[in-house]
Amino acid sequence: MRTFILAVVSFLVCWTVNLPALAATGEALKGLPVQDGGRVKPYDSFAREMLEIVYGKSKYEGQEATEIVMTWMLSPQAWQDKKIFEVRNHQLLEALKLPKDQRYFAGEELFANDRFLLLRQELQAKRETKEKLNPYFQALQRLENQYFVFQEVAAGRMLKVMPPAEGTVWIAVADLAPEQQEKFVTMTRAFIDSIGAKARGENTEATGAELDKAVKAFEEYAHSVNPAMYDQGGKIRAEVHYNSFHPFRWAYIFYFIAFLILLLVWTLDKESMMKFAWLFLAIGFVLNTYGFGVRMYIMGRAPVSNMYETVVWVAWGTVLFAAILELIYKYRVILAAGTLVAAFGLVIADFAPAVLDPSLQPLEAVLRSNYWLTIHVMTITISYAAFFLAFGLGDIGLIYYLRGENKYQAQIKAVVTGIYRSMQIGVAFLAPGIILGGIWADYSWGRFWGWDPKETWALIALLGYLAVLHARYAGMIRNFGMIVTAILTFSLVIMAWYGVNFVLGAGLHSYGFGAGGVEYVSAFVAAHILFVIYVAMIRAGQKKNVSAG
Amino acid sequence: MNAPKTQVTKKSLWRNLNKPLASVKLAVFIIISLAVITAVGTFVEARYDAYAAKKRVYDTWYMYVVMGLLVINLTAVMADRWPWKKRHAAFVSAHIGIIVLLVGAYLTMQFGLDGSMRIGIGENNNLVQTAETDLVVYSSFDGDRYSKTLEQEVDFFSHPPTLAKPFEIPSYEGKIQIVDYQKYVIPSRRVVAGEVGKSGAGLRFQLQNANVNVIEWLVQRKVGALATHNFGPAKIHLGVAPPKSQGENEIYLTPDKEGLRYVVFQKDQEKPLKKGVVQEGDSFDPGFKMSLQFRVLRYLPSAIEDWDLQNVSAPTPMTTSAVKVLFNDKEQWVLLNDMVKLFTNNGVYLLTYGNRRVDLGFPVKLKNFAVTHYQGTMRAMAYESVVEVPDLGEHVISMNEPMKYKGLTFYQASFQEENGQPVASILSVNQDPGRFLKYLGSLILSLGIVLLMWFKHLDFKIARKAQKEKSV
Repeated sequence: MRTFILAVVSFLVCWTVNLPALAATGEALKGLPVQDGGRVKPYDSFAREMLEIVYGKSKYEGQEATEIVMTWMLSPQAWQDKKIFEVRNHQLLEALKLPKDQRYFAGEELFANDRFLLLRQELQAKRETKEKLNPYFQALQRLENQYFVFQEVAAGRMLKVMPPAEGTVWIAVADLAPEQQEKFVTMTRAFIDSIGAKARGENTEATGAELDKAVKAFEEYAHSVNPAMYDQGGKIRAEVHYNSFHPFRWAYIFYFIAFLILLLVWTLDKESMMKFAWLFLAIGFVLNTYGFGVRMYIMGRAPVSNMYETVVWVAWGTVLFAAILELIYKYRVILAAGTLVAAFGLVIADFAPAVLDPSLQPLEAVLRSNYWLTIHVMTITISYAAFFLAFGLGDIGLIYYLRGENKYQAQIKAVVTGIYRSMQIGVAFLAPGIILGGIWADYSWGRFWGWDPKETWALIALLGYLAVLHARYAGMIRNFGMIVTAILTFSLVIMAWYGVNFVLGAGLHSYGFGAGGVEYVSAFVAAHILFVIYVAMIRAGQKKNVSAG
Repeated sequence: MNAPKTQVTKKSLWRNLNKPLASVKLAVFIIISLAVITAVGTFVEARYDAYAAKKRVYDTWYMYVVMGLLVINLTAVMADRWPWKKRHAAFVSAHIGIIVLLVGAYLTMQFGLDGSMRIGIGENNNLVQTAETDLVVYSSFDGDRYSKTLEQEVDFFSHPPTLAKPFEIPSYEGKIQIVDYQKYVIPSRRVVAGEVGKSGAGLRFQLQNANVNVIEWLVQRKVGALATHNFGPAKIHLGVAPPKSQGENEIYLTPDKEGLRYVVFQKDQEKPLKKGVVQEGDSFDPGFKMSLQFRVLRYLPSAIEDWDLQNVSAPTPMTTSAVKVLFNDKEQWVLLNDMVKLFTNNGVYLLTYGNRRVDLGFPVKLKNFAVTHYQGTMRAMAYESVVEVPDLGEHVISMNEPMKYKGLTFYQASFQEENGQPVASILSVNQDPGRFLKYLGSLILSLGIVLLMWFKHLDFKIARKAQKEKSV
């Protein structure tokens, strides 16, 4: 067994150490610094974000975003009939008179369509009324943005590769001075050779090396124009590494393995395997922390400014709290719940980039340079981690009830203890978190409490859990009640965390607003409510039988 | 022997009376009620706006009843546990913390100031606008000197006036009534003929050439006042022309018995460029180098501005609220922060309806305002105002860096832009007498929560033990 652990550890060490070396030939283009979205980032991130906007994914038919986006610019006409525009809103498709069962469309289908022009005018008229946009208009707005992004990339106005000798706005490819243009063309030639070789299935070693050389030459030239603006230290490399490594993806894989092992321990009653569960959990946790740290290094701030970042942070917190409670109580079920919900959270974050935007964005003006802001967001969201853990335990508890209340009394008691402790941890973080939010608001807006929806829903969630804890104290609810409320009260957290931004869409916290996924989240909540009702009914039936018998 | 016994019964009687108020079940009920009410509030805010949520939910009698019950419940439960033991420290401080916090909030609500102030770049302002609305009436019997005859806070949002139940304004002559209130309207201006001699003239004109087509109303605020439209290369005035050019391209149109007498001035020439008289429907070329045609579309020797209102169900940045004034059988709409003149045979009433403006007693001057953007974008990174106040001199206010002065705190809230250039800064101005208590309450509450983690299991063990003993 020790040898196995050693093998796993040594494999991991090799794997992480070798990562930088994985940057194979032909990859230097990814690290080309470009200015976009208010910061300097590697071309890799730029290309991924552009493809994400247009196509909704960071790869197109297995090809890397860096290649796709470059060819948009080099030969836009080749893309005219390719289905690269994602349209998901059925109402919009109907308005465009396009088939509703299709999800991707070619530019000529969408924008050569007369209807598109009409719809754009409709959107403009709607904007002038300054009313909130409904999902249909949001989808239309997205389509307009997709159109704009593709056009601008194709015209060479989006990709800003050259720092200015003076000022802060970088120069886009289309606006390069002739001698700069020449340097850029040399690089693109090498790029074309390289993808050509790849397409023909030839060995890309030589062309790749050639491309790397060309990129390097271009970078050296650009650096000489404005060294101070071009120098990003190790951040560009770190970001390329972050993009390709996907630390959070590995984290949930390891969390999930840990969960599977825990399931084995649980069903086969093999205590000896607990070590492995802990090991995989630890690896996942280290990777989770590592990813968090890299984001922090790249952006120079704590990464808790949008939904994606808070989901990652909550997953981290769930595992941490689960591990601490596990060390105290040794119930195993707490750890199982923790790994399960953490993996679940990270999977959602990974698979829903349209809703949870994983790109690295600079902060809005209201959020900048404030210590209290970061602290209050981190405190409030870490409390959600504890409630999330309680929620996961609640699910497990319901399963025990289904399998037999009397048979699994000890386990149910363990689950309830875990829930109770998690809720306490949550309340102990949430209440001070809300107060810190008040202090921040007072400090920067002059209002301790302004009924801002985000803060208000955090308060409602707190009140919900306080009601549960007081009801428990008063004996109004017992074990089953705790399990049920652990699940139901978490709906309030979902509302505070997700719903305010995506359902309510109002208030000071509007910087984090987006749309999408409402139907899935509602289905998730509804499914759990139904599950609770189902178990409650079964339990009521059994009780009746017992008392009748 | 008897005395202590009565004391005991008295105490237990008091305890029994207190018991229901101190019940944890009541606490659960209160907590859930608070959660439900505030949840409704957030939905009202999402559908309408923060003001509606405040008026309909957060700032209502039922919210105060629940808050009051909360304070009673918190106090009663602490009294019930008297004398406190060490293990009570946690819940007692958590509860005291909440009460102190609520008292602080009450002080803020009653005695605090929470408003905003718009200052144009290079301008002064000493008035802070708050959310309360006032109705102010000035009366004049010589048409020149006005005296304030009414100043009253009104809350038409919560208590809208109707024709059946109008809001009456005491007046010497005639009867002024507010008979309608609309929360969310999109106004568009309308000019109608008024009584000659009581209100200023109105002119609807068109300026047209191959590139320009401007159609505008000019309405004089009162008889003989100057009304101006600046359309960039030239200014159009309705009023008396000066004898000499002011160094700008200008057209003056003066109401006259024969019609409208016009005078055109050019930038680089002191003498008038052109003069003449026009009637409604006439047009003339002012003689600028732009080959413009000036057409008088409509001319009213006496004009009143009124509003055409379009009702909408929810507020947007384009909507405002309006009240309908009924005076001498004539109805007129007045928008929020606007005024109307009402004429009687002998005098004039000036009625204003708008947000309260509180005089700070000192001017705040905006010397400069700057926005910094993220590199290569129009995304604002930070903004700051350089202001000047007496005593303190120049001071920089930026996001998260407020200015404290004379018990007031000035925060950078937002700014106004015109054609991509900032023109004014908006500061929020606060005075919060409850601040100390709110911070104190927060501190005590947080302390309580930390202690709670410490003592909770102890408390629980005891409670369970007691319960077991009881059941045995």
